[in-house]
Amino acid sequence: MASSPAPEPGAGALVARLRRAAPALVVLLILGAASFAPANGETDLRLAGPDRSHVDAMRSAIADLPGGALVLVGLDADFGTYPEIRATVRAALSDLLAHGAQLGFVSFTPEGRAIAAAELDRLAREAGISAGAAPADLGFVAGSEAGLVRGVESIVPAGATGPIPDAIRTGGGGIGAFSLVLIVSGSDLSARSWVEQVRPRVPDLPMVAIAPSFLDPELEPYLRSGQLTALLSTLREGAAYVQVVGAGTTPSGAPPRPLPILLGMLIALGVIAEAAFRQLAGRSGGRGFQRTSP
Amino acid sequence: MNGFAGGDLAGTIATWVAALVTIGVWSYLVGLRRPFVLLQYLLAGLATGYLALLAVSDVLIPRLITPLVTSPRDHLLLFVALALAALLVAASWLPRRVTSPATGILVAGIAAFAIGGAVVGTILPQVGSALPAASVGASDVPGVLLSLGITILVLIGFLHGAPRAALTASAASIGRWLLLGGIGAWLGFLVVSRLALLVDRIGFLLGDWLTVLR
Repeated sequence: MASSPAPEPGAGALVARLRRAAPALVVLLILGAASFAPANGETDLRLAGPDRSHVDAMRSAIADLPGGALVLVGLDADFGTYPEIRATVRAALSDLLAHGAQLGFVSFTPEGRAIAAAELDRLAREAGISAGAAPADLGFVAGSEAGLVRGVESIVPAGATGPIPDAIRTGGGGIGAFSLVLIVSGSDLSARSWVEQVRPRVPDLPMVAIAPSFLDPELEPYLRSGQLTALLSTLREGAAYVQVVGAGTTPSGAPPRPLPILLGMLIALGVIAEAAFRQLAGRSGGRGFQRTSP
Repeated sequence: MNGFAGGDLAGTIATWVAALVTIGVWSYLVGLRRPFVLLQYLLAGLATGYLALLAVSDVLIPRLITPLVTSPRDHLLLFVALALAALLVAASWLPRRVTSPATGILVAGIAAFAIGGAVVGTILPQVGSALPAASVGASDVPGVLLSLGITILVLIGFLHGAPRAALTASAASIGRWLLLGGIGAWLGFLVVSRLALLVDRIGFLLGDWLTVLR
């Protein structure tokens, strides 16, 4: 005897599934709706931070470069955090190109290499750079920190040709040939690795860094000690820099819209507060921090 | 808009694939595990394939094979590198005492660079920078003392297993709370980074894919 379909449990399961998914879907809908709000500059809600000291440091590091200076872009960002700093990186590249810098891109992580290749493609497509001034692709260097140390001696691939690789070879062929290093962080090999491995070997080389927010606590001490010349490591600093450089006029160079970020933060805070209250309510006679060590 | 895909056919296809994959990953939110798992496999496979391609095209051929073929006498050390690499590749089939030198050199090299860099590049300069200078202003003194106090309390919090008096135990407890506070602040930074990613993905779907957002 053929069994009859049982719509009730299936429908019930679907309803239960949708009920479980509802909070996440509502969050997506809220953030999606908030994305239609006017962008920076058209509203009182601004992402750019009022403290411009970090932005000024980055700008002056670039402005102090001599004409035609060689600048190494160490691009080792991470797929998961690059969207936060993408606009800032593009603004910095525009700023460098506007100051006549000759850029060389190198990566020490595979993820960074993929992003560097995509950015080089974008620059060739969007920036309208002449063939002679096109950034040099110095490729991927294996070996992580050992690769960084090797880069101090030799950073140009054997087969690389063009005015920028030639200029690097004339300057010694290593990282020391550059006037500035722009470190785009996000992966395991961050600006900290550059400070630890390259700075002791090339102490006079100025290093500036762009990093996602989660690296800020790690990198801020290097800025205060002077080991980094400039650091943009929060969304607000990045947005302020994009605004000052005036690079956010194209859709691909605009920083994230402020309203979805604000709403997302409020939702995250609400979730954390709800979890904390639930934890406190479930704990009778709060006993404080539980020591796990013997 | 992320600006990675151009306006040509290849760019359009890339945008569609990226959009469909994003939606496929988000389908996990409504309990669809299969597309999510498949896309995880796809990501892992692509990452592995990309890494292998990168290793061959950017490392093995230009830095090992080509120098060995074109001018082997100038690159004698590369023969040693080749032998060590071969030992690592064949590690599953060779006795441990044969492969352990290659593994040892690899681990020791990584540790040497990491420890040497941490000492020379971080610990010494940061200790020097953290020491209160003779020229420290009166307004900086509370900050310096606060930093010192927090550092000492957190370090005491790591005193595991040692016999402790009541005062030390209290200091250790405060140190652990301060440590938790620091980790919480770091988590807050991480949330901002991930939130930017989520907002960017929504912007990509609405702007690059559906083109309803400008």
